[in-house]
Order: sequence, then structure tokens, then C-alpha cells
Amino acid sequence: MQHTLSLQALVAHPRNGGLRWIEPGDGTGPSAHPVVPLRDVVLVTSVDELPSCTGGESTQPGSPGSLVVFTQTPPREPWEADALLRRVKSRGHAALAFKEPVALGAGTLAVARRLGLLILGAGAPLELARAAWELQGNQDALTLGYVRKVAQSIEYHADHVQDLLRHLAASVGHGVALVDREGVLLEAGQHLSPDLHAALRSDAWTRATHAGGASGASVRVESPSREGLRLVFFDRGLAGTQLSALSVAAETAMPAVAARLLIDEVASVNNASIDSGLIRDFLEQPGGPDSDVRRRMHERGWRTSGVHLGFRILGLSRLTPLELLRSVSRETRTWDVDTHASTAGLGVIGWLTFSEPPSSQELERHTSALRELHRELRRSFNVSTGVGTPEAGAEGLASSLDAAGEAARVAAQRERGGHFLRIDALGLEQLLLSRTRNDTFLPTARSLLQPLIDAGGELLPTLGAYLDHESSTAATAQALGYHRNTVSTRIERIKDLLGLDLADPDTRLAVHLALRALQD
Amino acid sequence: MTRTLGAEHLPVLARGFSWLGAGGGGSTLTLELMLRQRQPWPLTVHDAQELSPATPAVAVGYAGSTYLMTERLPDTALFAPLLAAAERWTGQAARAVCSIEGGGMNGLTPFLLAPHLQLVDADFTGRALPRFDQMTMFVDEVPGLLACVSTGAGGVCVIEASRAQDVEALVRSAVVCAGGVGPVLIAGFTVGQLAEHAITGGLERALAVGRVDPSGPPAEVAAAVGGRYVGGGRVESVTPGVSDPYASSALMVGDDGTVLRLISHTEFLAVQRDGAVIASAPEVIVCLDPSTNEILEVQGIHPARRVEIFALPAPSWWSARPHRLAHVTPAAYGVQGLDQEGAACSTP
Repeated sequence: MQHTLSLQALVAHPRNGGLRWIEPGDGTGPSAHPVVPLRDVVLVTSVDELPSCTGGESTQPGSPGSLVVFTQTPPREPWEADALLRRVKSRGHAALAFKEPVALGAGTLAVARRLGLLILGAGAPLELARAAWELQGNQDALTLGYVRKVAQSIEYHADHVQDLLRHLAASVGHGVALVDREGVLLEAGQHLSPDLHAALRSDAWTRATHAGGASGASVRVESPSREGLRLVFFDRGLAGTQLSALSVAAETAMPAVAARLLIDEVASVNNASIDSGLIRDFLEQPGGPDSDVRRRMHERGWRTSGVHLGFRILGLSRLTPLELLRSVSRETRTWDVDTHASTAGLGVIGWLTFSEPPSSQELERHTSALRELHRELRRSFNVSTGVGTPEAGAEGLASSLDAAGEAARVAAQRERGGHFLRIDALGLEQLLLSRTRNDTFLPTARSLLQPLIDAGGELLPTLGAYLDHESSTAATAQALGYHRNTVSTRIERIKDLLGLDLADPDTRLAVHLALRALQD
Repeated sequence: MTRTLGAEHLPVLARGFSWLGAGGGGSTLTLELMLRQRQPWPLTVHDAQELSPATPAVAVGYAGSTYLMTERLPDTALFAPLLAAAERWTGQAARAVCSIEGGGMNGLTPFLLAPHLQLVDADFTGRALPRFDQMTMFVDEVPGLLACVSTGAGGVCVIEASRAQDVEALVRSAVVCAGGVGPVLIAGFTVGQLAEHAITGGLERALAVGRVDPSGPPAEVAAAVGGRYVGGGRVESVTPGVSDPYASSALMVGDDGTVLRLISHTEFLAVQRDGAVIASAPEVIVCLDPSTNEILEVQGIHPARRVEIFALPAPSWWSARPHRLAHVTPAAYGVQGLDQEGAACSTP
């Protein structure tokens, strides 16, 4: 016979008057105890009222006894407590609950062990009796109790869906989780075991099941934005009556959860667009942010003081920036550093803020985290990622973000680094080259150096080495293995051919770039 | 039956009264030392029926803290002023003496007044009991009783009260006045009244129990003393009572794995095994330390001590009339929840 009333179900009942295990000790929790079916719950105010367990041969092993709920605290003298235990046991009862505080001595607990009598404590014995009454087939009262708790939890303000789940878990008194086919997305109150998750996987409207000592009731979440979600109420030791009552509670709570999911979605889109607008305004002000931008940044909790490490993630093909941002934020939220991210164009822009300049090891650690993030993102998105150099202050933030953007653009074309590039590793020269290697610059470079090309192939490498060695004739000669007179003669000839003054820094830079662009 | 006692009987009697002390009643050692000094031997002990029923008699004993007597040996001559006071009050000279308490040191106290007075084998308790209102004469409300108590410094307090509780309260005050322990003499009755209102044959019982060799197996020892073996084990802890600190309970792990609880007040009151009361006052609960065969007093029960517990039936006098038993069960000591229905009172 399946008993709807078991001690575990009573312990799992959220309004059981604070029922707790005393003997056997609850160091391992109620799940460690085997399921104790109960015939009945008997409420007594004194020993003299104690009835015999109904049903005659109730003391035979295996047959369920009753739980005696005592509205008094245990007798003060240990021998009186011992004698009471003995009387309860000899009248065929299985368990005894005292009103708290229950402070029983080692001897009395040993007697309980000897007798095989379970001892519990309850802060409110009458509430415990009511819980038992609900579980003993007064299904509607039980269900209504849960539904009322669900309604109460919706009344409280929730910042987001996780908050709502926390409210639900707290007032219903069991664990609450939002799951999809792969796993648990959000949970509150308790931890949903993978076993139970697997058992709950279903397309049915509602489903109630047991797995590994825990049980849960789930309902499909009808959400336009997310599919395949289920809302679960779960706990250990729940009886069938509790599960069906919880199914109704889940059905009641589901629309609120679905609505909240949608609200969160809208809020995050809105948030992202505000962030993204602000970032654009910030970056577009060349002399640093003005007071308005500063105020808006402050309002959103963006610190400009400290040292910043910018990063930019660029979509290489079509993608939804918001989805990308969500994936990024999910990772960066777990980092032990202040991180901000926002959508920007077809990608995400973000930065890490350190209050002190980070050590090189620290920097390395965060760069690897970004690299790992990039690798993770590449599973779902076709992106390139660039990382800037750490720089201080508002200006530093802007330049670090700029550098990160450059790096991301370079990385977009570099399969070699897995489309990940860090500005330090790139080198300024590479950056300049990337800017110059385009259709407008290359012809200009070629025409600039055309006289040297026409005059013979050996002049270009000589000029290159000369500029590389800070215009030192001796160093250039050593590098090329020529006599220094040969080098100085050639340089004079180059100056003549080009008609340019190589002592002028701007001219030198232009020539150097043109040379590199052609050589590369 | 008349019996003549010699010096060789003293240790046997002392041991017998220790058994009947039920953990209280005081150590017999003090009285043994006093009697060794007095050397009243040979002494004749009379059955109550042998003497003329009209023989005026007194009952004697020490009241108060028996522990104090181990520090200060009492003066045996102190009974003389009490006897004189009783004689003045009743107008009759007492010719017989018995004990107010048939367990512990007071089992031997009447020997101090013999052979000047004829020693009668009778007492008012049949075991050790702490209060005067628990004594058989007062339980049966025998009229005309008189209590004479030393108040110290040669003073005597004579109490003629009709209520037993008043006697108890006044004797206690006088004893406190005397310094915490002192001699008490009850007069105003005859040997004939002892047969009905006292417990007779206690001295014979003490002799029989005192002869038993306690070193044998517990079951055999129990059979020899006419009682039963309740159980043995190691004392885990001793905790004072919550409502009455004079009550205490010793938690013991029984040899058979059971949880034994020994509840004590001035005497051992009850034994519980796994919560069930298996022995209770007025049964005489006796604890032995098997390593020394010492008969333990209440304060001798301490953690880590191994103890064997025996229960000797209480004198049947206590259950012969319905009103008597309530004076000697654990509840009479103020300790609730331990009274047994149909307590074992079988010894004649």
C-alpha cells in the first residue's frame, strides 16, 4: 500500500512547524533516513492522553506506526523523558515530536536508539498537525496553500527572473529551477540534481517524478522568446500529494516567470542600446569625454579612473550583437575584475578596469581569459578579437579601446592567431602597415620610390637598412656587410634620386612606410 | 526467638545493615567503632512477642548529616538526657529499646543503650529512609508518641505533636541547632504496639544478608540475599536533577548494551532499563562495586565506576495497608514518574 503520509513528506512540507530530526541525528540530513511511512499523526498535550496505536498488531516490524506530536517540551528530568519514550514506543508508535526547545541528554537519545523510536522537534506542534492533515488527503487545502504562497511571492518586487525564482523558492519552501533540455539555467533555494533533471525532461504540459531521493513537479514555460524551457518545483522526500499540489503551483507561477523572461529580454536590449550609444559618444570626443558624457558614464557605473584594458570583438559575418553580448557577459560576470561590455556596430566593445596598474602576470592572466573567451565565442560566432594595451584614465580608456579596435581589424585577416590579436604582440609597425596596405597608399609608395627601383635593385635594401639603423652609416654597413664608404656613397645617391631631405622626421617616416609597404 | 550476639556478629550485622541502607542511612563504620569501645557483648536480642506487651519502649537513632559523624564521633552518653526527659514526660521508665531506622548506621544505634534496656528486634522503616514522617509509627498515626532530640550543649527538645510532618520539621530544627547531627529518641509506645506498627525481624534479616559472600556471580549473590540482580554496567555520567538538586541520575551502559539509569535521592530510588522502571523504592536498591565488593552509598556512584545493582524486596508491612506505600515510593521523595504499580514488598 502506498502511504501518502511519510515522515519525509512531513519534513519536506514547508509549513510543518519547523520540524527537525533529533534522533537519528540530522548531521547528514533527512535524505539519509529511510522512508518512514506513517499510519497517522496523533496530537497530545500530556502523557495521559497518549492513545495506543490503532490497528492492534502495530508493533510488528514493517507495519507503520504513528507520529506522536507532543504539544509540550520534553520532561525536564532525564528519567521522565526516558519513561515517556518507553511509553510511546510500547503503545506502538513510531516517532515522537516534542515542542522546541528539545534538549535531550545523551542517555535519553541512547534510549531512543535502543527502542528504535524516532525523535523530532517542532517549533509549532499545531502547525505540524495541520501539515499532516493536509498531507492525509486534504489535497485541496495543500494545493491552495501553495498557490497562495505563489501569489504572495509575485507581489514582491523582483529585479530579474533570478530574483523572482528566489522569491518563489522562499515562499513556497522548496527549490525552484528553470531548466531546458541541456541543463539547469537558473535555480533558487536548492540544487537540482542532474538525475532529477534528466527525469523531468519532457514535452508534456506538466510532469511530476522522483529520482534519487528527490522529486519535482515541472511545467512547460510558454515563452515567445525562449523555447523548451520548464519551470520546476523540487525537494527531497516529497510525497505524491505534495507533487500534484506543486504541479498546480508551478502552473500558477509559470505565466509570471514567462512574463518576467520577456521583460528581462526587453530590458537587456534597451540597456545594450543605451550602453552602445554612450560608448560611441565617449569614443567620438577627441579631447576626452565632456561633462555630460562623464555624468552618463558615472550613472551607469563606468569608472574612468584606474587602468583600463580594452577589447573589441568584431563580427566577421552576420550575427546578432545582442546575442554576442549576452555570451560575453555570461563569461565576464565570473571574472574577478571590474568588466564592462556593450554592443558596438557588428560586435562588442568592452574593457577591464584595474584600480592599480596590473602586474605583468596579472595582465597575462586576463589576456588569456580574453583569449579563452574568444575561443569559446568562436564556437557559435564568426568573430575576431583584439586586445589593447593597459592605459590609465579616461584618455587611456579611449586609446586602449581604439587600439583594441585596430587589433581586431588586423586579426580579422590573420587566420594564424585564430583571429585573436593582442596589440603588444602586434607591434606598432604592424599596425601602421595594416593602415597603409591599401589601394590608395600602395601606388603612392610605388611612385615615391620608383626612381630607386629604376636605378637598380640594390638601393632599396640599403635604404631600408639605413632607416632601420637610425640613419647610422656604420651600423648599416655592418648589417649589410659592406664598407661604410659604399653605404655613404649609396645614401648620397638615394638622396639625389629621390630629391628628399631624409633628415626631416616626417619625410623619413613616409619613406620608411612606403618602403615597408612595398617590401612586405 | 531469643538470640545472643557476640563481638563476632558485629561485622556481619554492619554489612547486613549496609545492604538495607539502600545507598543511604550513613556508614556503619562509626557505630562499629563506638561499639568496639563499649564492648556490650554478649547481648540478648528479643522478639517483640517475647516481652510483655505492656513493656514501655523507646526507639533510638541518629538524625541529620551522617557525613558529619565521620568527622566528629558522637558522644554515646548523649542518649541519657533524652531517656530522662522521656521518662519525666511519660512518667514511666523505658525498659526496652529498638531502632528508628532498620538500615545503615541506625540499625546498630540501639546497641548503645543495651543491655541497660532490653534490645528488641524491631524498627520503624525496615530499610533506610530520610524522614520521620515516613516512619511506621507516624505513618500509622500511633497516638501519644514523643520525640526527644538533643539540641546540643546539654539541651533537650521534647516534641509531642500529633502531625507527623510537624515532628519531622521540629526534629530537623533541633538537629540543626545541635550542629547538624544528633541523637533522637522516640518514646510513648509499648513493645506490644511494635508488632502492629513497626517492622520486626530486621536484625535477623541483616544477619542473614550480612553473611552472604558478595564475590560470587551476581545472580547467585542475589538469590542468597533474597533479592534479584537488576543489572550491571559502567557509569557514564552523573547529573543532578533539574527541579531538585538533591536528586540525581546516573547514566550507565549496561553489560548487555542496554541503557541503565540509576535515580537517587538520599537513597537509591529507582532503576530504569531503556526507559522502563525495573526497580523502585520501597524496594531496597543496593549497588556493589564488584572490584572491591564495597557496598556503595549514593555519593559513591561516579563516572567510570563499574557497578552491580541488586534489588531486595521491601518489608511487606509497607503494602499491608493501602495508605502506607505512598510514604515510601519515589514520589514521596519528590521524584516523579518512577512509581511502579504493585511495588514488590514481600519480605515479612
